[in-house]
Amino acid sequence: MSESVLTAPKTSALPRGGFVRRRLRNPWRRPTILATITWGYLAWSLIPLVIAIAVSFNASRSSSTVHLFSLQWWWTDPSDSLLHDPELHSAVIQSLRLSLTTMAIVVPLGVAFALGIDRWHGRLATGANFVMLLSFVMPEIILGVSVFFVFSFLLKFVPLGSTAQILGLVTFQVSYPVIIVRARLLSIGKEYEEAAMDLGATPRQSIRAVLLPLLYPAIFASAAIVFADTIDDFVTVRYLSGPVSSEPLSVKIYNFARGQPSPAINAAATFMLASTIVVAFVAYLLYRAFTKGQRTGGLGDLATRL
Amino acid sequence: MRHVRDLSRRQFLVRAGGTAAAVPTLSAILDACSKPGASVSGSEAVQIARPDNPVTLPMTGEPIATDTPIEQGATIQILNWSVYMWKYVINQFVQQYADNGIKFSGISTFNNMDEGVQKLQSGKIQADVFFPTIDVLGKLVAADLLQPLNHDLIPALQQDNWAVFQNPYYDQGWRYSVPYTIYTTGIGYRRDQISDEQIHGMDNPWSILWDPANKGMVGVYPSDRDAMAIVLMKNGITDLNTSNDADLEKVRTDLLAMIDAVNPRIAYDASYNKLQNDKFWVTTAWSGDVVAGWGYAAPYTEAAYKGYGYWFPADRKGPIDNDLIAIPKNAAHPRLAHEFINFWISFRHAMDNFSWNGYQPPQTQADVNALTHTQGLYNKQSSSWAAPADYVAPWMPDAVVRESDFGIGYREGPLPPDVDDRWHQIWSEFTAGVGS
Amino acid sequence: MSVPSGAEPVRRGPRRSHRATDEGIHYSRWFWPSFTIPASIWLAILFILPLYTVISIAFGTVDPIFRGPLPVYEPWWWSGEQFGRVLGDSVSFYRIVYIHTFEYVVIASALCLVLAYAVAYYVARYGGKRKTILLALLIAPFFISYLMRMLAWINLLDTEGYINKILTFLHLVPHPIDWLSGRPSTVIMGLVYGYIPYMILPLYAFLDRIDINLLEAGRDLGAGPARTFFRVTLPLSRPGILAALVIVSLPMFGDYYTNNLLSGSPKTTMLGNLIDDALGSTGQGNKAAAFVLILMVLVLIPMLYYMRSTARSLLTR
Repeated sequence: MSESVLTAPKTSALPRGGFVRRRLRNPWRRPTILATITWGYLAWSLIPLVIAIAVSFNASRSSSTVHLFSLQWWWTDPSDSLLHDPELHSAVIQSLRLSLTTMAIVVPLGVAFALGIDRWHGRLATGANFVMLLSFVMPEIILGVSVFFVFSFLLKFVPLGSTAQILGLVTFQVSYPVIIVRARLLSIGKEYEEAAMDLGATPRQSIRAVLLPLLYPAIFASAAIVFADTIDDFVTVRYLSGPVSSEPLSVKIYNFARGQPSPAINAAATFMLASTIVVAFVAYLLYRAFTKGQRTGGLGDLATRL
Repeated sequence: MRHVRDLSRRQFLVRAGGTAAAVPTLSAILDACSKPGASVSGSEAVQIARPDNPVTLPMTGEPIATDTPIEQGATIQILNWSVYMWKYVINQFVQQYADNGIKFSGISTFNNMDEGVQKLQSGKIQADVFFPTIDVLGKLVAADLLQPLNHDLIPALQQDNWAVFQNPYYDQGWRYSVPYTIYTTGIGYRRDQISDEQIHGMDNPWSILWDPANKGMVGVYPSDRDAMAIVLMKNGITDLNTSNDADLEKVRTDLLAMIDAVNPRIAYDASYNKLQNDKFWVTTAWSGDVVAGWGYAAPYTEAAYKGYGYWFPADRKGPIDNDLIAIPKNAAHPRLAHEFINFWISFRHAMDNFSWNGYQPPQTQADVNALTHTQGLYNKQSSSWAAPADYVAPWMPDAVVRESDFGIGYREGPLPPDVDDRWHQIWSEFTAGVGS
Repeated sequence: MSVPSGAEPVRRGPRRSHRATDEGIHYSRWFWPSFTIPASIWLAILFILPLYTVISIAFGTVDPIFRGPLPVYEPWWWSGEQFGRVLGDSVSFYRIVYIHTFEYVVIASALCLVLAYAVAYYVARYGGKRKTILLALLIAPFFISYLMRMLAWINLLDTEGYINKILTFLHLVPHPIDWLSGRPSTVIMGLVYGYIPYMILPLYAFLDRIDINLLEAGRDLGAGPARTFFRVTLPLSRPGILAALVIVSLPMFGDYYTNNLLSGSPKTTMLGNLIDDALGSTGQGNKAAAFVLILMVLVLIPMLYYMRSTARSLLTR
């Protein structure tokens, strides 16, 4: 509010007319309507999240009303709490396993592709690039169903379960690092690398010592996105799950949501939220450490890479 | 407490035989017979069983010898619907055979019958016992995936189970299967909205699913066969496998009329969760779902417990069915599998499982008239539930299945492919929401 | 050959040894292509081959006993019977599903756009010192499962849930509203809620990049704020808007779970539900494949548009 007071004198000379008119003509006014929309949107988007978390501390079994405060669904209930329900354990572990494995495969695969496709031109390259972009925009249900079919009919040796899920997820996610890294490559240009090679570095050395460090922000950003997107993935993973033990939390939540919800599932999701935030924070610290001097602006920079 | 844990079992109760199963994991689509020259000779090989056309399945081999020793140190492999068996009873089995070093490490599960068959077929899972439905039994035998049973090793069938299952129409001489659970398909209702007297007093209680008074509160299973069977019943058509054009047209018209009349919602937890929690007032219902529903009746007060009921025709002329247990051909421990089946269908253990599962076993020693006022083991063990929970709630005698019902009720059987297509087509129109 | 020479002047900085790098003095001919090989093989096996399998199933036959689909991989043996039936049904009774899907997606995308643009514009232009916290809050929904948030909505919208409690408390409605009884409006709300974060962030990134000097120039030339917005900001952000629209509407076309969770009524069935239902039932695999194929054709144009614009922005940035 103080800012609007500060900016007021700047423009008071310009417009004539009534208050409303003046407000409309003042380009530096505090945009009340936009601000209301934004904060209203944030409330709308975050209140369900807050309630979902609060319910995990419910003292009752209800999922629609909040009755704080109990750790029943976290660990005190001997059979249905997060700590004591082996199905929820395995779901949480499966979610983390799938997303970490996928991330570990997708990032090198995608970064290498981005590097290659950025410097390799020709028809084949155009084709490969086309397919890569196609995998990015393809609705997930198409991808999930077709991968499920291929494992059911053609590549029958792949059992449904973790293996199939990871193979499907990697396919769905591999385009993220490609797109993010390519954008970064374009803004870097080829000068640094050339300089390195002029100074006698081999191509490999110049990539490892010069190019990769320059790409760290993009690589971290894509790893974070792949992790966050995979941990929440549902469509592909559900079609490709095999035994009950291969159902990650997202699939469990879907089943619970359509059956009897239990606050324990909220506890599991909250636990996941907390662990994602920890992972994101660690990643952010690493990102800062690795990218000293290259960042334009912290989180904003990261966000624009989405 | 069971409320959460046995959820998935019920989700998966959506049976095969052309069900639109909205199940958590996708069925692995069958790849049987994709190889020419497989042991299956074609659709003619599979006879379609009907009560008036009993089928004797061909012998595909010899049962194991009676003196086969019980396998030592074996881990029993069960392939079943996810969470359809009370682990307590499985543990009892493991304890009873402790001398043989029997182990149990969990159940391999499937989410619908296709997936179960596919797992069996691919050989990825070598199961000792498998739980098929009636409609795939003939196909499984035709595909040489089951082994004949040695009757001497399963005395419990004759000792404890109803005579009607000594020689069932779908498997004359029970060569390959024993019965697991029995159930009827009727109507679940909220007793605070629709009184017991009201629904029992109606001329045609099936039509309550079309009553605009319940608009927005009607639930239908995602199971085309069962939903359409109810429409047939409403119209007084008793052939639940009809291929008659006029009958099917009636089904179609009525199903579509339901959309306009009450805007039904499709949910597989319609009658064991949504009904109990006041999300639905009337539902299509399997008796076992409603019976087990008390475990879902939040907030676990007496009022919640008494809030819902089950209707089935008093003359017992309605859809009735049963599930099966069988032994796959490639079972690693066939003798142990026989022991397991015998254990599972014997009186005490079958009833223990019933108290958890809600689905009645066909036990001769169980006095069906007493089921509404005696409590099962699970209910006695359950500490979290204050109200007395009988095997079947006292006001739900309709949910109790009697042996005589199997001579009166109507069976859903497998459909020939072309008929199956027409049924699917009508169901598709319904789910597409084609209203007026 | 490399970058078209026309693109050359756009490049910044010294380009001393351009020829050397691009024509393989330093790099062997297969050096860069080899980088793309693992991902290309991956996509060939796990993306192209599966899509082909879907076609083979849609145009395949059915196994006589278990009624499962039998894919036919040789195009010359393809049979249009299964696919033709689905197409025929699509014209007759499934038509309403396509119409619903289209309506819901268009309305939800439009609502997403209006809301997302306002929010992104505000954060980009007026975020000021609060920008970081605003961005963190905008990203927050990504950190908790989409389904968990939907579950929260189910509970909020319940007849005994908070929304109805507030509405009845304020006497805005006489009786609780049955939001979950199969209302299209609830489904659309769910779609907007679920997908809007995917729109805000790219829009923000795009708007944030618009040079503030351009806006000031517009203002200096006498344009009012409204005019500046409509004549400068909006045209500049048009590619971003279109890309963001594509990004949210494509997955909406295949969404089935939002609908399943918030409605479940046949009246709100969407194309995604048809696919999911067919896949989950006996002997309907061909149908599922056919629907997938139809969906793919329907979204082809927006997909190609998006790819073209992405490729362009990569070339000219």
